[in-house]
Order: sequence, then structure tokens, then C-alpha cells
Amino acid sequence: MRLRWIPIFALLLVACGSSVDISSVPEIPVASSGDVEEMLATTDAPIVLNVWASWCVPCRSEAPLLERAAATAGGEVRFVGLNVRDNQTGAREFIAEFLATAPMEHLADPSGAIPVDLGGTRGVPLTFFYDRNGQLVELHSGVIDERTLALQIDEILRR
Amino acid sequence: MEFTLLGGVFVAVLALYATLYWEARRGNAADCTHDLWEIAISAAVAGLIVGRLAAMIGAGVNPITNPADIIIVRGGVATGPAGVGAILTAAWLGRRDLWPVLDGLAAGALAGLGGWHLGCIVRDSCLGTPSDLPWAMTQPGSTVSRHPVEIYAALALFAGAIVLIQLRSRGRLRPAVASSAALAWAGLVRLATEPLRPTLSGGPILWYWGAIAVGVLILVLGIRAVPAVTAGGKR
Repeated sequence: MRLRWIPIFALLLVACGSSVDISSVPEIPVASSGDVEEMLATTDAPIVLNVWASWCVPCRSEAPLLERAAATAGGEVRFVGLNVRDNQTGAREFIAEFLATAPMEHLADPSGAIPVDLGGTRGVPLTFFYDRNGQLVELHSGVIDERTLALQIDEILRR
Repeated sequence: MEFTLLGGVFVAVLALYATLYWEARRGNAADCTHDLWEIAISAAVAGLIVGRLAAMIGAGVNPITNPADIIIVRGGVATGPAGVGAILTAAWLGRRDLWPVLDGLAAGALAGLGGWHLGCIVRDSCLGTPSDLPWAMTQPGSTVSRHPVEIYAALALFAGAIVLIQLRSRGRLRPAVASSAALAWAGLVRLATEPLRPTLSGGPILWYWGAIAVGVLILVLGIRAVPAVTAGGKR
């Protein structure tokens, strides 16, 4: 008899979920490897380049941390999100839900080629740390933790 | 797939097991009728889950609508709630024999925490704020030497565990003293090393002060209230 409550409970859970309003999130510009390399060559601030996708569960998990890091160090470090192998709607929903207040700029790479061209892999999440000369200091594969993120930000600021 | 976190957990579990084994060999747990190993592992798992849920809620991620996120431990575990969850679980599982159980776990818990910090060698996350001290370390490719802060914490926690084992084997500790001293020491070590850690949020300092306060309070009450118990359980 108790089993009949399971679908009702599931329905309630679904009803609790709400669709995300993406009207405040602008379209994400599509970038090429050349665009990113040019950004690195011309930057005068250290860059944290985070590779993410809306379908990537670990990316969702590290998004609040990136948001906090961008809020803390955003004045000195440039935070760039590189959305890979994704669609605009999914990516904008992700930003609206998890990175809405983060002072980050985002680029889209539907093919997922840019991280590989930069020396990374096709896996997500990935976080590249560049110094103010655009030189790669550290490449972190997988979900990043607070200590590692804070340490690498400190490293790129000191170079 | 990342295995570094798993490596850190392995070092922690190894340190916990070795300490409980050492305590048993010295007859320190003779007054405890529970299986301390089982309680310790259950408490650690419960603490991890509570800490992860607290971290998710704190970050604004709903655990009900995003249940898969719970297993992404690297996404963050809130240290304070994790500690409270682990202690309450151990207390609940050993409720019929509360202080012998908690006292029996105390040195193992310190060593396990120390093992987790020492596991930074596997996780490649030992370094903290910049330092010019002779033993400061540099990460590959860097010119900035830094405090090996996680190794400081590990050594301090191991030292606490060794002192507790020695005192317990001499039968000089009253009930609740070992567990409360361990709690206060763990809080003090984290509090003392926190300024040396790179952080975005300043660290959960209040939780460490809380652990020290609760530990010292129970320690004082324990020393005053109950007659001494020897390692064999005789008053």
C-alpha cells in the first residue's frame, strides 16, 4: 500500500523543480583556439580558464567555488569560463542557476577542440591557470577544491 | 578518473587502523565492549555524508534535486558539520558504553585526521602560504617557497595521538578526558594552522573555536566529576 506514495512523492519533487529564467543571461559567443590564444597573448592580468559543460555533474559541484573565487579575486584575476560540447540553452541555464553573480566572462566551444589545443584533454571539468604573460602555470584536471584553487590563484598573482 | 583523493583516504584509514590496533595491543580498550573499528568507520562515513550535504546546501545546491552531487566529495566537505556528524554517530553507536567508546576512539580519530592531512603528499596539496623558512617547499615550476602546512597539522595530530595512547596505557585518565582532550587538540591544531592555508573564505574558524571550547569544558567536568579509571576499567 505504501508503494503508491512513491510516484506521488516523485511528482512532488518534480513539481518543486522550477525552470530557469535565462533572459538575463546573454548569448555566449563562440570562440576558436585562435581567439583564446590571442586573449592569452594580449592579457595584462592572470587568467583562470575553467572548462565546463551544463551536462557535467562535477562542473555543477565546483561552480559555487568558482563563483566565490571570482568574487574574491576577480579584481586582480580574470575568470573565463569555456563552455564545451554544449548547446546555448543548456549553457545559459547553467550560468543562470549556478554562476549568475560571478564576475566571469564565458566563451562557447561546441566542438570541444580548444582545451585540447591548449594542452588539456577532452574531459571536463578542467582548469587552466595562466600568469599575466599568458604562460600556463598549472592545469588541473577534474573537480578543483578550495585549497588548490586558492593556492594556484596565489601562484599566478605572484609571477 | 582521479585517484589522489582515494589515496588520501587510504592513508587516513591506515593511520586509524594502526592506532586502534596499537591501543588494543596495549590493553587500552579493555573496558570497551564495542567493536571500535566498526564504529570509527561508520562515524567517518556518516561525517563525510553530513559534511558533503552541508557544503552543498551552503553553496546553494539542492541535494534533493541534485542527488548525484553528493558523491562528488572533491566539490567540498564542510569540516564543522562533518565533525559533528561523526561524533554524534560514534556517540549513538556506542551509547550503551559512551565514554569508554569515545575515549577508545580518541587517539585513533586524531591519527586518522593526521593521516588525512599527511595524505596531502598523495593529493599534491601540502603547501600553504609563502615562507622563507629552511624547510619551506616549492611546487614544481614555481619560485615561491611555501609552508608545508598539511604536514605541520599531521605531525601535531600524530603527536597528540601518541601522547593519548601513552597516558591511557598508564591508566591515569578519567572517563571523558581522552575524548574531550582529543577534540580540543584537533580544534587547536586546525585553528593554529589555518592562517597558513591558502583559502578563499577564511576557513571555518568558528567551528575550531567551538571544538576547543566544548573539548575543554568536557575535560574540566570530566576531571572534576568522576573518579579515575585504570586501563583495565577498575576504579
